[in-house]
Amino acid sequence: MKQSWIQRWPITLVVLSVLLMSVSGCAGGARPMSWTGLTVVDEMVYAPDLEQFRVLNAADGEPVWVFPKSTEDERRGVFYVTPAVDEKHVIVASQVPASGFFSQAKNVVWALERDTGTLLWRFDEAGGQYVEGGVVGGGLFIIGNSDGNVYALDVETGTPRWVFETGHRVWATPLIVSDTVYVGSMDRHLYSLNLSDGQVQWDFSTLGAFASEPAMWNDTLYIGAFDDKLYAVDALTGAERWHFAGENWFWGDVAVHDGTIYATDVNGNVHAVDAETGEQIWHQALDAPLRAGPVLTEDGSQMFVGSENGTLYAMDTSDGFVMWRAENDKAQILSPPVVSGSNVYVALLYGEARIQALHVDNGREIWVHPPAVEAAANE
Amino acid sequence: MFDPIAYFFANVLLLLYKFLGNQTVWAIAVLTLLINLLVLPLTLRQQKSSRKMQEFQPEIEKLQKKYAKDKERLSQEQMKLYKEAGINPMAGCLPLLIQMPIWFGLIGAIRYCIPSTPFELFRFSQHIYKWLPGVVGLVPLQSTFLGMDLGQPPNPVQWWSYSLPILVLATSWLQQKLLTPPSVGDDQSQAATMNRQMQVMMPLMFMFFTLQYATGLSIYFIISNVIRLVQYFLVQRSRDGAEEKGKAKAKAKT
Repeated sequence: MKQSWIQRWPITLVVLSVLLMSVSGCAGGARPMSWTGLTVVDEMVYAPDLEQFRVLNAADGEPVWVFPKSTEDERRGVFYVTPAVDEKHVIVASQVPASGFFSQAKNVVWALERDTGTLLWRFDEAGGQYVEGGVVGGGLFIIGNSDGNVYALDVETGTPRWVFETGHRVWATPLIVSDTVYVGSMDRHLYSLNLSDGQVQWDFSTLGAFASEPAMWNDTLYIGAFDDKLYAVDALTGAERWHFAGENWFWGDVAVHDGTIYATDVNGNVHAVDAETGEQIWHQALDAPLRAGPVLTEDGSQMFVGSENGTLYAMDTSDGFVMWRAENDKAQILSPPVVSGSNVYVALLYGEARIQALHVDNGREIWVHPPAVEAAANE
Repeated sequence: MFDPIAYFFANVLLLLYKFLGNQTVWAIAVLTLLINLLVLPLTLRQQKSSRKMQEFQPEIEKLQKKYAKDKERLSQEQMKLYKEAGINPMAGCLPLLIQMPIWFGLIGAIRYCIPSTPFELFRFSQHIYKWLPGVVGLVPLQSTFLGMDLGQPPNPVQWWSYSLPILVLATSWLQQKLLTPPSVGDDQSQAATMNRQMQVMMPLMFMFFTLQYATGLSIYFIISNVIRLVQYFLVQRSRDGAEEKGKAKAKAKT
């Protein structure tokens, strides 16, 4: 009995089906290339929310505007990096997935009008994906890219003003202080660049990669590296002042308040270190890996740390005591929370709720996005 | 599922990178070589079985002629012959399946050490063996090779990066062709059909994967295929040498 083609080539059929599904994008939903991060300015939450970028009212989570208007508009890609917000603009990045075997994913910076979400310009010339957001200063938007470059774009037009090439990926948000840009690279250098033309003033190198934004206090930069050390570097000369050894990589941004540095290592340790000497003040081990650094309340009395297991910890900055914790099953918190007024806002990755607003005093939930999750929880 | 193996290989890769002068491609090449040595017994078994199949080709051809009109009987007789000769017709696939966790682990290791997204790097950050000498601060590895980013898939900007998936296809096809037991004539048995499909689909699948994933994986596939081809030819040569010696001895006796 003669076998049919389907009977003779079953493996071929299965493999071809898998290939076709993958190429057509049926094999998975919107996937971010990095964690989603929030920015809160003037009572508005600016949130890259994968298929759409949305602005929510910080008080109640009510939507103000979204970009693009429809989730069907796939040409805009997947929004994830922490947005930069100034008086007129909201600037965020997305990745538009490849549409076939020989096409390439596009990594796009979008500048939107802050009040309405109208598209002002786009920039898609970078060769790699964006991992962390950029900053606005001196009429420029500065952002690092996985192609190893730091791009300075005209904030009004998106035209590149200068490009600075490093030796590896740039996954850190730059810091702008007056006319200088400080940016860390995976090439294990922390660079100080002229804001106007991108020329190097100095560079500081270590054994470990830099993937976080430095913090500045008293002319000193504080930054963690992947060689398990936290560094204090003279902002004017790039000379090391001290370093502090942790248990594992320092990936999150450090926070500084009143002469104390607060930093997390990825093993789940929170460290408070004297900013002048590098001596440890206290140390608290949390029970989950920590990607993002701590964020302080305005008076510096309390701080918040999000963990990989979806728990948000509220801690006393004087001794590291955990005051309360808010748990989120199945979700991860990989970007830093944002404190604004009496609320703390969290971006939840892989959770049913993707944005959460909690009260800083006790962790009481104020609202979540999407609201359907809140309604289901209350039923 | 294969993460523990991937973490182990990733740490070995770090160590090799450290001792090979921070050369990523060299580190991948040496790790691939070490793993090939580890699975050498399985590979040799696969090649031995393949040779045995080749030796029985004339017998199978005879059966095909004899039962040309009765496919069911042909299949039964073939299986009988295989059984009597101690041949496993699936021997071409089985060692491959057993080695799967190792290969997936190695692929995972490359993705952890030359990550394209920070998620992979974050996951790996908690699994670095800090007690290994000199591994602190090594991740991520240097990812540029011949102007290509080993952590990114082939792309039109680095157009020459497409040569790697083509090399993967070519070396995989050659490897499959040499190592898979050949089917004879119009052999319709299930094993022969499977082998024929594997010969076509496996190289295509490997090429597809390397088009989608970081070019570092292509480097690994190419090196791995070349090692296996060299291994095949070395085994072949030593076998031919042994046969010639045997013949010469027999001739000398007569």
